[in-house]
Amino acid sequence: MGEMPVLSELNAVVLKIEVAPGDRVEEGDTLIVLESMKMEIPVAAPRAGTVAAILVEEKQTVAEGQRIAVLAA
Amino acid sequence: MNWRAELDELRLRERLAHEMGGPDKVKRQHDGGRLTVRERIDRLVDAGSFHETGAIAGSATYDEKNEIASFTASNSIFGRARIDGRPVVVVGDDFTVRGGSADATIHEKPLMAERMAAEFRLPIVRIIEGSGGGGSVKTIETKGRANLPGGVGTSLGFHYTTSNMAVVPIVALGLGSVAGLGAARLAASHYSVMTKSSAMFVAGPPVVARVGEDLSKQELGGWEIQTKSGAVDHAVDTEDEAFACARRFLSYLPSSVYELPPRLESNDDPERRDDSLMQAIPKDRRKVYKVRPIVEAVVDRGSFFEIGAMFGRSIVTGLARLDGRPVAVMASDPYFYGGSWTATACQKIVRFVDLAETFHLPVVYFMDCPGFLIGLEAERAATIRHGVRAMAAINQTSVPWCTIIIRNSFGVAGAAHQPAGRLALRYAWLSGYWGSLPLEGGIEAAYRAEIDAAADPAAKLSEIEDRLNKLRSPFRTAETFWVEEIIDPRETRPLVCEFARLSDKVVAPGLSAFPIRP
Repeated sequence: MGEMPVLSELNAVVLKIEVAPGDRVEEGDTLIVLESMKMEIPVAAPRAGTVAAILVEEKQTVAEGQRIAVLAA
Repeated sequence: MNWRAELDELRLRERLAHEMGGPDKVKRQHDGGRLTVRERIDRLVDAGSFHETGAIAGSATYDEKNEIASFTASNSIFGRARIDGRPVVVVGDDFTVRGGSADATIHEKPLMAERMAAEFRLPIVRIIEGSGGGGSVKTIETKGRANLPGGVGTSLGFHYTTSNMAVVPIVALGLGSVAGLGAARLAASHYSVMTKSSAMFVAGPPVVARVGEDLSKQELGGWEIQTKSGAVDHAVDTEDEAFACARRFLSYLPSSVYELPPRLESNDDPERRDDSLMQAIPKDRRKVYKVRPIVEAVVDRGSFFEIGAMFGRSIVTGLARLDGRPVAVMASDPYFYGGSWTATACQKIVRFVDLAETFHLPVVYFMDCPGFLIGLEAERAATIRHGVRAMAAINQTSVPWCTIIIRNSFGVAGAAHQPAGRLALRYAWLSGYWGSLPLEGGIEAAYRAEIDAAADPAAKLSEIEDRLNKLRSPFRTAETFWVEEIIDPRETRPLVCEFARLSDKVVAPGLSAFPIRP
């Protein structure tokens, strides 16, 4: 299956990182919580896999389309 | 004597036309994973219903006995057909004949297709590949002169491309590489679909390379670019899915503005109360929820058909049925900027509300809008300009309108939740929460002096916040009749179905007071 990048779908601030590299996740599990317009917006795993990398830090600003994590099969 | 010989010649010419660009070009089309235009039409419409106009138009050569020696069909194919039993006009580009471009076009053919749709009040489906009959520089050599776009004798096609939008439903399918005039005909529609292997652009990679951008077709105008930009509404994997989308879109609309949307029998109880709606909105206001399941729990089961899912994503738009009656549905999506109205969401609202007004669809708006998107980027995007356009579009509607306030309603974008000059039906859920301005930041602005004078400004701030929060119960608003009704969310379906029934008496066929723009 290879690696799959996870993108931010909006401009936001990283509020909380819920997983670490090496963690096993199921499809729909929250990887990262973003904050926008005072709302907490979870970014869910698009499929089951292992977290290969987290590319952002808490409090960091992210842009729409930015890679924020990588999943491996 | 009879007319046998002439009939034979007619059939011969038709057979030659059906060869399209010849076996090699047809094979190339198939090898590229694409159907020919005739296969596309057959798969789009009801079996055997296509009646072609101008099948034998093209260019022929003749031998010395004046017998036809060779024939190349025009690369625009059109005629009438039926979709779900209802008559439509279909017009398609034949890419196997000179890439669908102007060299081989008889431009009166696509023009007559548009006129047929307008005069006979029939929906039109444009199947677009190539430049859609638009220019190629080769034309300069074949015609011996340069074409003035929109010049003498060529402007009527451009007229119908946009004017028909005010009269009949237009569905456009981009199947392959679509450029120039083809791109314009794709975008000037009420609903456009492309396959994920297709690409659409004003000018393709070779032309773009001359302005210094080295991009593949997909990088320049693939589905991810064009559905996010809002130039194309939807992308699908296969051409058959594109045809299914076209049929489904048309099923909600009248054949023209001179009719009303067709009602279907519904087997979903209009009084059905969905318990999931009681748990749909989190009590924690910072938490988001998925709005599509809410819409789906309210409308007739399986009837929600989303349009433009990838664009202006803080607003979800789509068609649905309530007790069998087609309606236009808007819903805020808190996953995108908390449901705030961005500049692109506002553009989406304008186009969608105009569609509803044009085709007499009552509007149901599931609202959770904390206001316009704020911040520097939002100001740079002229959010307020697009915002007041969206508000104007809502105010200009005459179709019946029903708003369900499911959570937030703040600011000017909050005010634009129903047409301001006439009565709409409005219901607030128990989770309703509203104000001119959010407390966060709003308190600092309004109570500056009080906070600055306090020994502990932070404590003062939270004291004021507590004070105001105690007054914010939606019941206090209802007590003063600033909101007319607060409802158990499970009552939503019965109430919006009643709204759809009441709308029967209000909607009237005819041209909209203003013609819709693409």
